[in-house]
Amino acid sequence: MPISAKAFQDWLHQAAPSASTADICRISGIKRTTLAQQLVRGKVTETTVVSISRALGLSPLAALASFEQFAELASPAPPPTPAELVSQVATMDLLRVVISRSSPVQGGDGEEGGSVLPALSPAPHATSVRNWVDAVDDGELRHRVSAATGVAPQNYSAQLTANRLSPELAFATARAAGVGLTGGLVATGLITEDEAGWPPGAKQSALEALSNGELTALAGERLQALGKSLRRQEQEQAQTEKIWEHLG
Amino acid sequence: MIGILQWTTLAVCGVVTLARIPSALRGENRSLFSIFALATLAILLSIDGPYLVVDRALGGLNIANLVLRFVIFAAIFFLGLRVARGFSADDALRLITGPIGIGVAAAASAAVVAVFLLMDTSGSSAGMTGIFAKDPRNAALVEYYGAAGRLYPAYVTAALFPAMLRTFRSRFPALVRSSAALMALGTVGICLSLLSPVIPPSLGILRYVFNYTAALCLILGLALIWLAKVLAQRAQKKQSVLTRW
Repeated sequence: MPISAKAFQDWLHQAAPSASTADICRISGIKRTTLAQQLVRGKVTETTVVSISRALGLSPLAALASFEQFAELASPAPPPTPAELVSQVATMDLLRVVISRSSPVQGGDGEEGGSVLPALSPAPHATSVRNWVDAVDDGELRHRVSAATGVAPQNYSAQLTANRLSPELAFATARAAGVGLTGGLVATGLITEDEAGWPPGAKQSALEALSNGELTALAGERLQALGKSLRRQEQEQAQTEKIWEHLG
Repeated sequence: MIGILQWTTLAVCGVVTLARIPSALRGENRSLFSIFALATLAILLSIDGPYLVVDRALGGLNIANLVLRFVIFAAIFFLGLRVARGFSADDALRLITGPIGIGVAAAASAAVVAVFLLMDTSGSSAGMTGIFAKDPRNAALVEYYGAAGRLYPAYVTAALFPAMLRTFRSRFPALVRSSAALMALGTVGICLSLLSPVIPPSLGILRYVFNYTAALCLILGLALIWLAKVLAQRAQKKQSVLTRW
């Protein structure tokens, strides 16, 4: 259920009583036509609300929480689980950590947590959505989300494959998984880790807490998934070339 | 209504054929050019005015209609080859070039020629409507003749139908998928035109609708893939950055 134009107008009026639509668009970098279209259709995207609240210096999380469907964001959320935190580490960062733990030259000494970790890039990463869902999935999660939202499992999977998840679904997924409600919003890149109230350095600590075995197994899984998706891309590319060659 | 459909189809075909001349001269995919050229010729020969001119020049025995059938067979054969190879449909390729495919082509050709010889074909008329009106015997023969002529195109496109659906449901570029959908629609049109003999005369317009939408869909489908390739190559030149992991 997207944000209704009326609820949005009410919120905007409270947040910036004196600003005109033109001002709002200028400071938030949203195209005027885009906003006008969303208002005409009666559906304003969460991204719009987040951009505007950032531009006004407000907390995007609080702004989202002021809307009925995200009201639960207002209550204090449990912190992200270690699995969620690790899921938001990019695959290449994960591999760097493996290397730095194994090789003294890279600043590592082979000890768990004993090395200087390379700086981690902020979430989201190229497979952050699927990795997050996998991190909070107890095996039945997809069925529960599907039952709660009415979204067919195959449509849900398609979104994950494209590394996308609508804010409503991300929210519903977190609720169905019983984890902090901000996790999905961070994984989809709607809000940053800071904005979600994740403590700084939480990802690093979660990584450091992994044993060498856990870390290596995780990196292996990620590499395997990456290899699979790259191979699929290459196959699709080859087939497309074939179509061009014969029919183009 | 029928006239608009006929001339639109001819115009689309003609434009695409002309547009392919430069690439044909450069030697790219000449067989595609010949498919478009044959299709244009076929549509030209199925429209009243041009048909009468051509057929009278050939002696007024409706030989132009016989030529038309073989032009369609040739166009459909080359189209089948190209689409089967392009969509990696080895099963369809075997069905078209294998013994069964050659058998169907031979049987359809023999039937078309045999029935043509049995008819009293004097008096040019597009679609053999004049022959149909002569007497019940000739009317029945025209139906058989038409059925034999539609058999081979229906066979080839039906063999490709699964590959078209597969391509439509795949993750190829949107233009390629729409083109597969168009060609699948064309296939449905060709197969529906097999029902021509049982379509009541009051709905006779449906015969034309099936035939020409089928031709239009196949041609547009092919043209779309070409467009997709041109666009993709242009986009590739602009960005040669590696995909980010």
